[in-house]
Amino acid sequence: MAQSKVMSPAQRILSRIGWITVAILVVAFLGGAWLIGRFGSDTPVRYTDDLEHFKYGSFGSEHEFGVPYWIWRALPELFADKLPGKGWESVGFVFEKGKNLPVGMSQRRYLGFDVVWLNCAFCHAGTVRETARSEPKVYTAMPANTFDFRAFMRFLFATGEDRRFTPRNVLRQIKVIRQREGLDDLPLIDRLVLRFYGIYYMRERILTLRDRLDFLKEQPEWGPGRVDTFNPLKAYFNFPPDKLAKEERIGTTDFPSIWNQGQRETLKMNLHWDGNNVSLEERNRSAAMGTGITPPTGDRPSLKRVADWLRNLAAPPYPFSINKELAAEGAPIYKQYCAECHGADGKDFRGEQVGKVVPIAEIGTDRRRLDSYTYDVAVNQNLIFAGYGQERFSHFRKTFGYANSPLDGVWLRAPYLHNGSVPSLRDLLEPGDKRPKTFYRGYDVYDQKKVGFVSDVGEENGREYFRYNTDEPGNSNQGHEGKRYGTELSAAEKDALIEYLKAF
Amino acid sequence: MADRQKKNSWWKMCLLLLVVFAAVGGAIGWYKFFREEPQPEWVTATPDMRFKYGSIGAEHDAGIPYWIFFVLPRMFPEKLPGPGGYASLGVAWEQGQELPIGFTKKVIGFPRVANNCASCHTASYRKSPDENPVFVPAGPNHTLNLQAFFRFVVDCARDPRFNADEIMSEIALVYELPFLDRLIYRYVLIPITKKRLLEREAQFKWVYHKDFPLWGRGRDDAMNLTKYFLLNWPMDDTIGPTDMPSVWNLKKYRPEKGMLMNLAGDSHDARSVIIDSALGLLSAAPHDHEDFMGQIDWLVKYLSEIQAPKYPFPIKQDQAKSGKEIFDSHCARCHASERTGTRVPVEEVGTDSERLKSWSKQAAIESNKVVRNFGIERRGLVENEPSGYIAAFLDGIWLRAPYLHNGSVPTLRDLLNPVAERPKVFYRGYDVYDSVNVGFVSQDPEAQRIGTKYDVSERASGNQGHEYGVNLSAAEKEALIEYLKTL
Repeated sequence: MAQSKVMSPAQRILSRIGWITVAILVVAFLGGAWLIGRFGSDTPVRYTDDLEHFKYGSFGSEHEFGVPYWIWRALPELFADKLPGKGWESVGFVFEKGKNLPVGMSQRRYLGFDVVWLNCAFCHAGTVRETARSEPKVYTAMPANTFDFRAFMRFLFATGEDRRFTPRNVLRQIKVIRQREGLDDLPLIDRLVLRFYGIYYMRERILTLRDRLDFLKEQPEWGPGRVDTFNPLKAYFNFPPDKLAKEERIGTTDFPSIWNQGQRETLKMNLHWDGNNVSLEERNRSAAMGTGITPPTGDRPSLKRVADWLRNLAAPPYPFSINKELAAEGAPIYKQYCAECHGADGKDFRGEQVGKVVPIAEIGTDRRRLDSYTYDVAVNQNLIFAGYGQERFSHFRKTFGYANSPLDGVWLRAPYLHNGSVPSLRDLLEPGDKRPKTFYRGYDVYDQKKVGFVSDVGEENGREYFRYNTDEPGNSNQGHEGKRYGTELSAAEKDALIEYLKAF
Repeated sequence: MADRQKKNSWWKMCLLLLVVFAAVGGAIGWYKFFREEPQPEWVTATPDMRFKYGSIGAEHDAGIPYWIFFVLPRMFPEKLPGPGGYASLGVAWEQGQELPIGFTKKVIGFPRVANNCASCHTASYRKSPDENPVFVPAGPNHTLNLQAFFRFVVDCARDPRFNADEIMSEIALVYELPFLDRLIYRYVLIPITKKRLLEREAQFKWVYHKDFPLWGRGRDDAMNLTKYFLLNWPMDDTIGPTDMPSVWNLKKYRPEKGMLMNLAGDSHDARSVIIDSALGLLSAAPHDHEDFMGQIDWLVKYLSEIQAPKYPFPIKQDQAKSGKEIFDSHCARCHASERTGTRVPVEEVGTDSERLKSWSKQAAIESNKVVRNFGIERRGLVENEPSGYIAAFLDGIWLRAPYLHNGSVPTLRDLLNPVAERPKVFYRGYDVYDSVNVGFVSQDPEAQRIGTKYDVSERASGNQGHEYGVNLSAAEKEALIEYLKTL
């Protein structure tokens, strides 16, 4: 039966609507595809070099905490009066030449924006200068000796509280910066998203974080190179901080170095200052959560890449001169006094007590860090990564002392003891009451005589350094002293010993 | 003609599609809501592990969806007694374990969390503050604040923040639920959980009664629990919180010798008590009768055999030997004789009688009927009015502090003092052991911070009675206490 070529009015309308519908559908589909392409991305900036990946690679912390790159650039300029000095450097971030992002900051294109946030290196990379006039040299996997975490948080929270934190001001500052660098303003759609959503969202997140971490105010200042590891974890769990026992509210310690992790793993050492975990894998993921990753958002391949690299990473050798004869005299002293707890030398970590927890009464150092980590925290950690099979945490244990660590790269791990209360190795070999009662932290010029950073410079070129006071709670420099710990050796013997330790 | 055929086949097509959808929907529904997965192997690897973590089937009707259970302490920390998430409730939680002892996780469609016997019947103690706790299955959970746990879940359900938006965003921070599961949580599990918890409000009214003293850590009002949850009786004025008991070595109870179970001899035999307690955890008739009875058989066997733990501190054996003589002459006539395990009239022992008023012959009769209607045969509850308390067996007595049925006397040393000299106020639920006085540390600042306050002047909390041995000399009391450590 032949189709009639004459269409009724109804059929004509239907066909027209049909075409329009099809056209709308096609446009919608294409539009949707474009939107997904524009805003559905999740790609980190990739680095082929492992070292670069450690310094700048992304672990996925941007998913929950990402700050749009241009806002990150704008904040120190818009709120310059809230920083201790000029730029992000003033809170201790380390910038390599020609970089706009500091070491420890990663970037990812997520949901259509270039966002930045932190990775391992912001706590585990620092600088050393030979003299006050030298260029700083960046060392990775060392404790972040210049980074003042609380100053950074204070600044961030101050911006969130400031009335100037508005879309108008932030976008204007971004435009100024981009013009300075010869760039056009941000694309319209980016500006719209930031104006009507992004900046408000960011402000809300900053203020929520500020409230959760408000209890830190009652702690003595951490100063550069230090952090309270486990009290913020209690904030993460949302434990009410005012109901915590007094003894557990201060747990500030030095950032540690993180090279040579492989040997620590094979020798089954108890990790963390108090030896609360034997699993390197788990400890890594726990630490990574400190950068802001969450179980759903962590970039597993990226984390694995860093973990593998750190297993084999050697400690940086001492870059200054070593008196070989003097060092040779130090070797037998080390063997007699130190090796049992700290390993045969800087490369061979074997020793009877290496990696084991020394009871607090025996080591005698400040117990605040130990007490800040409680049984309740340990069992609650068993819920972290729940639902992800083997990834669920299960190795955290409450201990009652501090763990002995090998001394690989010890020259770069100053100040000393878990709470960074002793500025140099030479000071550590003095009995507690002869150690400096106050000193300065954050200064990166090296003291080759005493082995540690120069610690008596309070101010240089307009930059102030942090005055550490051993009288404050959690800051005691007592302990690790007595005959067994070498504090009764002669001056000459002590000099030889620390000369020997330089090569570790 | 062709048209009608077309219509027919069109209808057939629709019908077929409908049937297919129903079948697929049914399959998905069964998979997501009803499919039971056995618990992982490690749960039943040893009898102790099975007691601590093995499901007894409570997840069917009393299970909370796992992820809701997970986020509640993070969303509502102010509704818990203190910091520490679930740990603040005094649960026994082993290091490395996802859930505390007594909290069972089972997949019935979706993972759910419920309880088993071990939540109330696992004891913990620390030999010193600088040591980690030791957990003893079948012991009394003197640290558990059960009332706070009930209140917590109900308080959360009552809070307007208990809604899909808030809960889902909290879950998203820790776990990425698959898309279908997100829908199920949002539109089914969260609303139903809220509804079921709020439905319990009438039943839970008495847990919030403002004139009643709190149970405190380590105690619960078991008979009223039964009246209000099993029998759905309206709230009355009785109150009888008592210590959670140890449940080891249950073969010591011989019904044929006239022994009865429960603090006031309310039940005929161990099997009945275990069934009734388990039904309490299930909150309903068992889903799978055979499975349930199998669980009961296993529990009866496990608890009949498991022995009381040995005292973990040194014992002066000579002193203990002379203590035995004192025990034989002063204590054995109730605690190591034909009388043990049988009722002592309350007028004779003189202890607080409120617990007896919280139960009745009528309650026993009705409860027995309810359980029979579940299709469960057991000797059951004693159908007469409560009249006294059981003369207790003293095996593992060192770990059963505080003492007397209502836990009103913190240590054995205190129990050997006349009432006037016993502590009037102390703190329960702190797990550091006091080996000098035999019981838990109950006065020092840490005990005060962690424990719940116990005041003997409150209703049902009286510490009067059992003034036996109070006139012994100091040396005799020392020896007696030393002997009691060996039990």
